[in-house]
Amino acid sequence: MRLRSTVALYEVELQAAKGEWDVRVNGEAFRLALAEAAEGRVVVRHAGESRTLYYARDGGAIHLFWEGVSYKLHEEREGVRRAERPDAGALEAPMPGRVSAVKVEAGARVRKGEELLVVEAMKMENALRAPRDAVVRAVHVAVGEMVAPGRALVELEDEGERA
Amino acid sequence: MAPLFRKVLVANRGEIAVRVMRTCRELGIATVAVYSEADRGARHVREADEAIPIGPAEALRSYLSTGALLKAARETGAEAIHPGYGFLSQNGDFADAVEAAGLVFVGPPGAVHRLMGDKQAARRRMAAAGVPVLPGYDGDDQRDARLVAEAERIGWPVLLKPARGGGGKGMRVVRSSSEIEAALGASRREARAAFGSDTLLVERFVERSRHVEVQVVADAHGTVLHLGERECSIQRRHQKVVEETPSPALDGRRRRELCEAGVAAARAAGYRSAGTVEFLMAPDGGFYFLEMNTRLQVEHPVTEAVTGLDIVRLQLEVAAGEPLALRQGEVVSNGHAIECRLYAEDPSRDDMPSPGRVLALVEPSGPGIRVDSGVAKGSEVTVHYDPLLSKIVAWGGDRREATLRMREALGATVVLGVVTNLARLRAIVAHPAFAAGELHTGFIEEHAAALETPVAPPPLAVAALVLALRGGVRRGRRVLPDPWTRLGPWRIGGGA
Repeated sequence: MRLRSTVALYEVELQAAKGEWDVRVNGEAFRLALAEAAEGRVVVRHAGESRTLYYARDGGAIHLFWEGVSYKLHEEREGVRRAERPDAGALEAPMPGRVSAVKVEAGARVRKGEELLVVEAMKMENALRAPRDAVVRAVHVAVGEMVAPGRALVELEDEGERA
Repeated sequence: MAPLFRKVLVANRGEIAVRVMRTCRELGIATVAVYSEADRGARHVREADEAIPIGPAEALRSYLSTGALLKAARETGAEAIHPGYGFLSQNGDFADAVEAAGLVFVGPPGAVHRLMGDKQAARRRMAAAGVPVLPGYDGDDQRDARLVAEAERIGWPVLLKPARGGGGKGMRVVRSSSEIEAALGASRREARAAFGSDTLLVERFVERSRHVEVQVVADAHGTVLHLGERECSIQRRHQKVVEETPSPALDGRRRRELCEAGVAAARAAGYRSAGTVEFLMAPDGGFYFLEMNTRLQVEHPVTEAVTGLDIVRLQLEVAAGEPLALRQGEVVSNGHAIECRLYAEDPSRDDMPSPGRVLALVEPSGPGIRVDSGVAKGSEVTVHYDPLLSKIVAWGGDRREATLRMREALGATVVLGVVTNLARLRAIVAHPAFAAGELHTGFIEEHAAALETPVAPPPLAVAALVLALRGGVRRGRRVLPDPWTRLGPWRIGGGA
């Protein structure tokens, strides 16, 4: 199974193992036991400790809550080539708002954390930053444009990905 | 005993509307909620006796619409309007319009809102009443040369502040005379755009200052009381995140001086109702008037936790014209209380508000724990309003116990589906500097590395998720590994 967040990709394999489970995440192995399971909530035992996970599917996304943080992942289906994914490396508008500044152009090398553009919403200026070191493949918006949540604003690609 | 009012309209939404209605119910007062199109089915709507739609999602045409609110009050026969905080709560014209419509505004008169909303006039009034203010300039001569000369007199660094503003907009720290000309231009432009006036105040800027404030309550018969202080130094974007009472920075003498200054400020303002006088406290313990919030404060529950008083009830009694049935000596503070504000915002993205749907919600409980919440499972968090979800308050016999209870409470809290600042709150109350009471308004920046929230789930979390999705749970039932899963290794998704 392949899951993707905005900044990370996870390849996961699952195997039953004597009443427990062997789970490999990007090659890292975890031996887990399912201590409790109910709809949307599981307790797993790992290395002698119980950990609680909350999760839910909502539309195409899978949400999980772990140690105080809610994350959103997307499952990647087999057969979708990376370059064809509509959201491959795209930075999306997190909320409706007005683009008040665009600070990069296509081809620019950006560092993780660098400000790419600014969206004004809720009377606040929100800087959208590069989630990782990357090269800007395309900028899809201009200053003054209104954007809806989920709209792809800037596409990033990993350095060397073009080759 | 007849209730103070038969019916009160709450001109607000979210947790504060829910909280105000709770006291109304207790006092036998019927409640009217108002809601925008975005809040149809919101928690505050469900908890009211009646609910009236007042317009579209956009606040300007709903929660900020005097006309729509007064119409809703008229249609439902409400006798009073409680404004909560934010929206129209500090709008003098709204307060006047409510009274002119023959209704009672639960808060101070319009003139008091206008006086305290003008930082220049408020500063002058406070200085005249002997309330300490920062070394600064609040004059009408706004020429560059004069402001530069005043800054030199005050001493660097100085803070430029729009006289009619609030919320940090247009404020600028200036560290030397070479920076001030550019800063004046920028502050004036921002102030003019945001507040329609470019008049500036110049004040000494104090590094590593604390934010302390005094809760006051005044009736229409000349009684002004304080309910002690709160410390709200932990802030981001000039907005409070964690508050507590008493302040760990005050000894008995300072506390008395501070609270007396708060009462003097409220008297000088001609105050009525519950209000908060905010002070900046310098590292040497000196405190200086910042501003007065002429409304119920977000963090009022910590004061309620240590005094046992219900501040909304006091507001309603004062609004009904009753004298405060309480003397200063009867206000006793017991133990320590801490509040954490749970926001739908993303600490890893400049605290950007993060809308979404609450897919699972677990609120903490236990001895000394209070949760004021405006959301429930299934709630939509929209971009239209303040992203505060709930406030978690922990009371303990002392600060240590309150902190431990808060840690437990935050550890038990679950919000799935919306990115929140919960992990940051957990990190703040677990931080040694917090335990030591070493607080200042730059706390979050200073300890940024220790307070960082992960942006992607750790591999163990993803492992647990995949196990939950594929390994053991089918249609809500737990299915233990059965023989077919033991046939041998297999790969989920056929090798995806």
